[in-house]
Amino acid sequence: MAAIGIRNLSKSFDGFQALSKFSLDVQQGEFLTLLGPSGCGKTTLLKIISGFLEPSTGSISIGGEDITRVPPENRDTALCFQSYALFPHLNVLQNLEFGLKQKRVSRDQRDARVSEVAAKLGLETQLSKLPNQLSGGQQQRVSLGRALVMRPSVILFDEPLSNLDAKLRDQVRVEIRRIQQDYSLTAIYVTHDQSEALAMSDRIVVLNDGKIVQVDTPEQLYAQPKTRFVADFIGGANLITGRVCSQTKENLTSVETLMGQIQTSHRINKSSENVELCWRPERAQIGKGPYCGTIVHRAFQGQFTDLILEENDMIFRIQTNNDRFRVGEVITFSILPDDVVVLEADG
Amino acid sequence: MTMRNWIQIFALLMPGLGLILVLIGSVVYIAIAQSFGYYALLGESAFSTEFWSEVFSRKIFSRAVRYSIYIGFWSAVLSVALAYPLAIWLRKPFPGSIGLGALLKAPLLVHGLVAAFLYINVISYNGLLNQTMQGIGIWAEPRRLQNDSNAFGVLLLQVWKNMPFALLVLTGSVQGISDDVLDAARDLGAGPWARFRKIIAPLTMSGMQAAMVIIFIGALADFTFQTTVGPTNRQSMAQLMVSFKSRGDWHSAAVVGVSLMIIALLGSALLALLTRTVMRGSPR
Ligand SMILES: Nc1ncnc2c1ncn2[C@@H]1O[C@H](COP(=O)(O)OP(=O)(O)OP(=O)(O)O)[C@@H](O)[C@H]1O
Ligand SMILES: [Mg+2]
Repeated sequence: MAAIGIRNLSKSFDGFQALSKFSLDVQQGEFLTLLGPSGCGKTTLLKIISGFLEPSTGSISIGGEDITRVPPENRDTALCFQSYALFPHLNVLQNLEFGLKQKRVSRDQRDARVSEVAAKLGLETQLSKLPNQLSGGQQQRVSLGRALVMRPSVILFDEPLSNLDAKLRDQVRVEIRRIQQDYSLTAIYVTHDQSEALAMSDRIVVLNDGKIVQVDTPEQLYAQPKTRFVADFIGGANLITGRVCSQTKENLTSVETLMGQIQTSHRINKSSENVELCWRPERAQIGKGPYCGTIVHRAFQGQFTDLILEENDMIFRIQTNNDRFRVGEVITFSILPDDVVVLEADG
Repeated sequence: MTMRNWIQIFALLMPGLGLILVLIGSVVYIAIAQSFGYYALLGESAFSTEFWSEVFSRKIFSRAVRYSIYIGFWSAVLSVALAYPLAIWLRKPFPGSIGLGALLKAPLLVHGLVAAFLYINVISYNGLLNQTMQGIGIWAEPRRLQNDSNAFGVLLLQVWKNMPFALLVLTGSVQGISDDVLDAARDLGAGPWARFRKIIAPLTMSGMQAAMVIIFIGALADFTFQTTVGPTNRQSMAQLMVSFKSRGDWHSAAVVGVSLMIIALLGSALLALLTRTVMRGSPR
């Protein structure tokens, strides 16, 4: 039985469709990420699951029980707000134990849970401070801790790491994941940071305009994006359209594009003439090969270097470990047929 | 800070602060001095506690003190008690809420004296209320509604006048609470009552204190409503002060005036404390 079952959920605000026909099952103990651009309906979905918004149509169940009409205070969910929403008149300790007091958890239990979470989030020395005496990152961790101490059947995170610096973000990311696994909490995590989504999730749901575009494991999503939107949103793939020329042997298909003929080992199911292909920047093999381009921009990123190439008025991006290439150089490269993914039409 | 800074700050504060200090300071000083026999308009000026003991020994004074405190306290409590639920209700905009809010605040624009006259017209022996009640057959004959000994008329007008002010102050503090904060409390299991007691009440406490204290001070020193619709067998402190003065007894009037200030100060402190105790919510 799924921990969360979402059936045919739609939500419109005065005619504006924020979510449409949304269906999804989340398994017990799963860490599921909602990934999508700003305004695609991520927060709206979390607010519907936690009960602050009523869906226009559709239903939600937790642990098999329909909770579509249950008020938020009676749902076994905890939401980590995008705006932290700390209680300004209560200190960190009081903020952390607020929910436990509401649920009448015994004092010993309360103290134990709060001190455990405070330790994991590095808040032990801040317990007597008021929220306005904390840094943004500390406030964010209090908000996180306030939800985590509840150990609810479903925990919902709305971009909980957006205000942390890179180092702290990595650290808190690991902590969230560990606490989630330790208590086998079912988690829905919202982010628009693709690397965060790839690093943390069991599965990722890619959203656009209130609709599910693709649901897959991070590996699958990266290797096999279904549409142009997903390919572009995750990992910034190179996209190119072309005309199918021939089905050669060994299940390879040749596609005629502005780059030249590209071969893919992925199936082209429709008998359509025009297809859209994508390939990952790091899959380009620099050296000998059928394709070439002039470097128009170079960005050193540490462990790799981003190169923007131009050829026939087309721009594409490749990544390499070699940092010796310079703007103006012409390079040739090849792409393996396995690395060329065929996309479905958007929408 | 250097001397220069101090002089600069002092110079900048002088126009505003100086004026306030001179005005308030001189009024307070004259009142106190006069209550001890100085600044006599007639006769000799000399230090004396005679006016204090004289006024304090009079029954009319202690009755006026009790009466003014009664009016001040209940005006404050009733105004705030009415305004608070309204402020919470109007927290989130809904169709018509702006118009409603404006309508509720309209009494701020009507002068108290005008309202008092209107009120008398309504409740007088041949007034609107009596006529209506007779018309629909509830009262057989007109009733005497003026001059009620509990001063309900005064309280009614005070509340009518001050409720909008309380609403203004409380709306500000209630709207200062973000939706997300209330939602967070709800998400953590707090029902309507717990949200009110643990979040809304403590976060609006200072607005509540301000409204209570300001209304209390104003109503404590009421003169207008008392002289127009108040019971004739009672005197408010302001009324007593004026009656001393009109008899030329400036020293006794000053004693009442100084007492009024002291009661305003102590009463405000007590009210603020009381509000805090009631509103603080769960023990910290
Ligand atoms: N109360 C509301 N009334 C009207 N429109 C709303 C309301 N709440 C959200 N919307 C609209 O619904 C859409 C989805 O909003 P939502 O907050 O879910 O986006 P999001 O995916 O969380 O974006 P972000 O990443 O910026 O937080 C937006 O276009 C927003 O303008
Ligand atoms: Mg959002």
